[in-house]
Amino acid sequence: MNVDLSMFERFAVTFQPGDIIFCEYEPGDNFYLIQSGRVQIVKILGDIEKNIDILQPGEIFGEMAILEEAPRSATAVSLDKVKALEFNRENFEVLMKGNPQIALKLLKLFTKRIYDQKRRFMILTLTNIEARVADVFLMLAEDQPTEDPDEDQRSFSASVEDIAHWAGMSYAECKKVLNHFAGQRRVEIYEDRIIVKNINDFQRFVSSQRKKEKVE
Amino acid sequence: MPKAVRYHANSVVYFKGDMNDRVYILKSGKVSLNYNDIETGQEIHDIINTGEFFGVKSALGRYPREETAVVLSDAAMVIFSVPEFEQLVLKNTRIIMKMLKVFSNQLRRMHKQVRNLISEGKDGLEPEEGLFRIGQYYLNCQKYHQALYAFRRYITYYPSGKYASEATTHIEEAEKALQRGGAPASMAGMGSGIATGGEKAPQSEVQREELSETAKKYYNAVSLFSQDNFQAALEEFRKIVQANNSEEYVAKSQFEIGRCYLGLVQYDKCIEHYTQMIKHYPRHPDLRDALLYVGNCHEKMGNTGKANGFYKKVLSMSSENEVIYRKAKRALRELEGSK
Repeated sequence: MNVDLSMFERFAVTFQPGDIIFCEYEPGDNFYLIQSGRVQIVKILGDIEKNIDILQPGEIFGEMAILEEAPRSATAVSLDKVKALEFNRENFEVLMKGNPQIALKLLKLFTKRIYDQKRRFMILTLTNIEARVADVFLMLAEDQPTEDPDEDQRSFSASVEDIAHWAGMSYAECKKVLNHFAGQRRVEIYEDRIIVKNINDFQRFVSSQRKKEKVE
Repeated sequence: MPKAVRYHANSVVYFKGDMNDRVYILKSGKVSLNYNDIETGQEIHDIINTGEFFGVKSALGRYPREETAVVLSDAAMVIFSVPEFEQLVLKNTRIIMKMLKVFSNQLRRMHKQVRNLISEGKDGLEPEEGLFRIGQYYLNCQKYHQALYAFRRYITYYPSGKYASEATTHIEEAEKALQRGGAPASMAGMGSGIATGGEKAPQSEVQREELSETAKKYYNAVSLFSQDNFQAALEEFRKIVQANNSEEYVAKSQFEIGRCYLGLVQYDKCIEHYTQMIKHYPRHPDLRDALLYVGNCHEKMGNTGKANGFYKKVLSMSSENEVIYRKAKRALRELEGSK
């Protein structure tokens, strides 16, 4: 990002490799702009640490803290020696006014987040739980464009926990639905990924269900 | 170049579901954005006022239009491509700030709606329990550095929480493990369970190497200290401060230097050192311990009044079930008793 950030030097913080920048469940009041080094976003599910994302210099994270002091939804760990600018609600406006590039970046990030939240909401409005699980896969498919649009089969590096999370159901409930799909040979569940045999079949299933629920 | 266009009444600027990357500003006339509320399904008509932008979100976010833009009465508007729009707003931060406010409000509302639906399901843990469990996770996989972070945070936010005493015990455990040199802090974050992110490994490997050198030096100095070899420990901690390779270890060493002076019975130096440290690191994690030691020094030098002041200061900064509180309380009691 070609932005002169020297005037924000006083907001700079440094983290050593392996440092936790913030922890899931902690109240959040700061957000960060990475200047150098990479930051890994992880979630701890039971006794595994799951990689959510790896962020590069120029990226913003923790930005939800600007909106509300809700608990952090994931843990941010520095992967390298990380230098970042740390902002909070107080110095936020100073930053934005002094640096429109960052403000614009944030604006774009928000458009994406709003869309993602709406998409997520659409899943949750489905009352049929099978349709809800299928719609989670549709959402994931929208986020990972395929090279071959004619290919029906899609593979997702998601776990049952992930699907349950997006579908807003318990693990057990979600597992039951997935097993049912597996029994119908519509999905295959592996340790590190879930394969949907025919994404278009899910698409038809979800849209017919949507129509049906609208009428009711 | 931004393009001025005119639309007749009843024409459509774009349809819901369209993909296009244009942003519009209404100059005159009347435009309505029509869509169904995602919660109720009710049809909504948002009227655009002259001078207002529309189509911004889906253009910037590169997703399909979420509403149909219908012209109600003959309208004039200016069309921007995304790069043109960006150029315009970069010169005019006020517009961005205004949009940020609108978007963040929408986002907050969306979050609330999602949470309302989720709350029926059992999604996740209470934050208090969640934070504690994260500490436990890291402790179990011997990532002591991270475990310390989570437990210390827990104690900060929930000083009288249901896991407070357990967390305190775990903190001591993790500290001991680190002092033994168990898993060096630098390596701890990079351990097992993370499949991705290895592509740039060589570079970060070097940095890890560097840090673990500092970490090694630090723990070596800590072990000298624990053998009551205060002079040697002092020199080692000073070297770490001078080398200035790691902010974290410099801050930690600064704290330990004060303890070395205390061990060496150089009370005035200890007080002076901690005074400087607190000035430099007003939010040092060991701030209260430093204040307690300053109190100790004053006490040893016979300044009971000052000692009393520092102990009380520590008490005021702590809550009853914290170790530091008990330490300060005890120091105060002993001070009273010795009178």
